Amino acid sequence: MKPTIKLGSKYTLKGLLLGLIVGSLAGCSATTTIDEYRPTGEAIDLNTNEKIVVLGRRDAGHYETDREFINCVAKRMQGADIGIVPEQQFIDSIYPWFEPRTAPKGLPRLKRLMQDPLIKGQVDSKAVRYLVWIDGSTETLDQGGSISCAIGPGGGGCFGFAQWDKLSVYEAIVWDMTNLQEMGRLRVDSEGTSYLIGAVAPIPLLTPVKSNACTSLGNQLKSFFSAP
Amino acid sequence: MLKTKLDKTVIRLSAAILLLAILSGCSSSASVQINNDFPTVLAEPQPVSASIVFDKSFSTYIAEPNKNTVIDIGTAQVKLLSNAFTGLFNEVEFVTSTEEISGANSLVIIPSVREVQISTPSDNYLNVFEVWIKYNLEIQTSSGETIDSWFMPAYGKTPDAFMASKSNAIEEASIIALRDAGAKLMLDFYRIPAIYGWMMEQKILEESK
Repeated sequence: MKPTIKLGSKYTLKGLLLGLIVGSLAGCSATTTIDEYRPTGEAIDLNTNEKIVVLGRRDAGHYETDREFINCVAKRMQGADIGIVPEQQFIDSIYPWFEPRTAPKGLPRLKRLMQDPLIKGQVDSKAVRYLVWIDGSTETLDQGGSISCAIGPGGGGCFGFAQWDKLSVYEAIVWDMTNLQEMGRLRVDSEGTSYLIGAVAPIPLLTPVKSNACTSLGNQLKSFFSAP
Repeated sequence: MLKTKLDKTVIRLSAAILLLAILSGCSSSASVQINNDFPTVLAEPQPVSASIVFDKSFSTYIAEPNKNTVIDIGTAQVKLLSNAFTGLFNEVEFVTSTEEISGANSLVIIPSVREVQISTPSDNYLNVFEVWIKYNLEIQTSSGETIDSWFMPAYGKTPDAFMASKSNAIEEASIIALRDAGAKLMLDFYRIPAIYGWMMEQKILEESK
């Protein structure tokens, strides 16, 4: 006797559909890795009147650390106990010394800048104790498949299948603006594949690669500091 | 019957308008006017007096880097450079022609734009919009003797974003390029060998020490 599988049953169909959705969504999760270096395992003490500024590096030729990502990390770190100075507000207050051309790339240059009483005064007036530099980008690595959409008087639709891989790599460096030293480094790598299925209506199954990188980096940076 | 026909017409018209709006968003031409304010420079001015000549061609400058792009930077560059020169010299006067110079100042600076260039993701195969503004500063003594003709390039870029318009991206890149011009001026003006030599001659550096 041949084994038979009843696919007509209402519950089997629902189960298959559910399995397909869960399977698709599971395929849309990003793999995120964080590497961290700090001289001590203890969190950095942050007084109530001390603040942090998160800045993006924008001096590379072929990419730019986007402001949206910087705002996202800053938002993650900000809480009742950690005060964050907005990026643009800090850069404007110290113009033109933190523009892509003039921003210090290393501690020796920062030390020289902080010898200027005007610059030091401005940093102190903003109560900025720590500066977090973030450098990196999100890039599309590989893409495949094709999808085409058409529209006419009778209606329209999209047909096909497309997929693409995204990789986010960001590095964060924490500088102490008072003692003018490096307090630690973090690196986040997040990778995932997104899909677009054209079945009359386009169905996107997007992997939040950048968002995952932001969440992971923001949470990890937050754990760097301990407020009273 | 009439109502159904009317409904269909409305739907088609709405679809056409939507399509037109989407296509206009994908337009390859851009016309940008920059009216931004710029932050005050944080610098101690040197004990030098200067007259800055912003002539009409400079203050109303409209760049056309290619046939599809127009960038009006005249007003913004006057604001930006006025701010930067105020941070460089402790006495500055801004005039619109050399005839208006009071004569009491030791330097006369006449800025001009040599060229504006842009590069879009379709040109550079990168996900960035780039703007270059190439300035020239004619630096003279109050007696009209040329000290130097200084070439001052400025650069700005902004990342391409999904569904973002080309105009917005070029505007953003132009603002960054203008800010870069201010940074370049503040960083390098007193490093120009001819200016350094002139200041040594005038014993300004010794005074400021």
